Amino acid sequence: MKRRHGDAVTRRQGEKEMQKKAKCGFTATIVLAFMMLVGYAGNASAMLTAKANHDHITIDFFYHGSTVGVKGISDAGRDLVIKITSPEGHQVMKQKGKVAGVLWMNVGTLKFENTPNMYELFSTKKVEDILTAEEQKKHTLGYAALADHVEISPLANAAEKTQWFGEFVKFKEASNLYKTDFGRIEMKDLADGHQEYFIQTQWPYQAAPGEYLVSVYAVKDGKVVEQAESHVKVEQIGMVKTLAGMAKDSAALYGFLSIGVALSAGFGVGMVFRKGGGSH
Amino acid sequence: MYLYLPVALTSINILIPVGLGLAVGLLSGLFGVGGGFLLTPLLIMFGIPSTVAAATDSNQIVAASTSGTYAHWKVGNVDFKMGLYLLVGGFVGGIIGVQAIKLLHAMGNADFVIKMTYVLMLGIVGVYMFIESIQSMRKKKAGAAEEVQEEKETAVGRFLKSLPLQTRFEKSGVTHSALVPIVLGAFVGILAAIMGVGGGFLMVPVMVYMLRMPMHVVVGTSLFQILFTCIEVTFLQAYTNHSVDFLLAVLLLVGSTVGAQIGTVFGRKLKGEQLKVLLAAIVLIVTVKIVFELTLTPALLISQAGGH
Repeated sequence: MKRRHGDAVTRRQGEKEMQKKAKCGFTATIVLAFMMLVGYAGNASAMLTAKANHDHITIDFFYHGSTVGVKGISDAGRDLVIKITSPEGHQVMKQKGKVAGVLWMNVGTLKFENTPNMYELFSTKKVEDILTAEEQKKHTLGYAALADHVEISPLANAAEKTQWFGEFVKFKEASNLYKTDFGRIEMKDLADGHQEYFIQTQWPYQAAPGEYLVSVYAVKDGKVVEQAESHVKVEQIGMVKTLAGMAKDSAALYGFLSIGVALSAGFGVGMVFRKGGGSH
Repeated sequence: MYLYLPVALTSINILIPVGLGLAVGLLSGLFGVGGGFLLTPLLIMFGIPSTVAAATDSNQIVAASTSGTYAHWKVGNVDFKMGLYLLVGGFVGGIIGVQAIKLLHAMGNADFVIKMTYVLMLGIVGVYMFIESIQSMRKKKAGAAEEVQEEKETAVGRFLKSLPLQTRFEKSGVTHSALVPIVLGAFVGILAAIMGVGGGFLMVPVMVYMLRMPMHVVVGTSLFQILFTCIEVTFLQAYTNHSVDFLLAVLLLVGSTVGAQIGTVFGRKLKGEQLKVLLAAIVLIVTVKIVFELTLTPALLISQAGGH
């Protein structure tokens, strides 16, 4: 009896919970629908569009970078800034300095936080000429704004931050991962009072696989007035993906395979030379 | 033609690693060195991350030294007994060296000690080998080499002969206490671990000047010893750091295995002293390059962490 009574109580509690969940679900659906309507209305009023023409780059054995074009439409007369970035992360770099006043060697490590591995910026004019310092900082547009955004440690003073951020940018530019460029965006006026923009850029083969964000900013009177986004996905495929995955996930097998191939190649070539040469 | 390297995450013209492999393999076959002290910086120069360059280099040395050891074994230039004793010492030395590096890192002056050890060892070995082999070549011309060697051996030789566990190394034609190659192997192992190199350019002079082995047997035996050291390093790098790029290693070993065979053939045509002078010259050129790197202001003051 007791057990049957207990079962009935549990069933009633379950029903109550179901009703509660249904109410919550209904409320959530209404809120979501409202948000979608608001969002749609926002998009409908926006003129700025952005599309990367090559948004899925695949890396196979013969990959040597790619070409990516970004195009869209904006209101006429607006300046534009296009930023391509990888997700932010932290990077550890070796720091060179003088030892005993004469010898250059690694003297420590520097941690760079909130740093994208890739940062490319294209604009119709120099960003500092079309955007206020505040706006640059708000949207992290330009090296000066990025320097403010990035955290470097350990540092003794603010001057060191400027110095080491400068060195970091030099390092990244040498690896083709950081770039700022202006005046290369092609603009064409359309009959309906809008303008079409287009830029083509070389996608560096040094850019690691991952999701990249293309952000386009329309600028008027020193401020960002509109913003649009597009994505570029870089992905390893086929044997490249298999080998990269094996190196990480089956490290022991990968190690044995590497050694096995090296030993076989060494013996193989030795045998071939013995047969071919015959003199030794 | 370019190929994408899955672990290095970069693309490279295949002629570069094949050409570099060929050049370093040639040195391997000629002198019995792995060539890591030359190849790793060159790979970094061509955009390979330093950790991947060092790890993959050891993988390709496995191929080059297999090819070289095989070629030298065929002509009877490998002293397996001596090689095994040196390996035992090298293994123990490697463990001590790794602990020493940990201690130096904890003390915060590892890079200074590593760089200074590198410059001093390369400099001393290069200068000594160069002068000694030039003198030896002159004396051989004068026909007095044999007598001088006899005189030199008496000082150190008496002490070495007094040590226990004396054994005959037939292939090298020398008799030593088993402790001698083990201790010398350990000494090279410690330095190699501290410097992050295979140690071939240290092992060769140790075998020539301290163990008094003939130069051609030294080359084959050194390659045999390097082969095992690099198998161990390759596995550890692949297993713990995931930094061996299989494809890059294949491109390098295509060149290095052929280079090692050509080097062995050339080496047989050269005299021992000529080989020593050439190796000494290469070691000295590398020393000068490192001294320049240490004293001239570098173009970039930061680099990716994890390399050497």
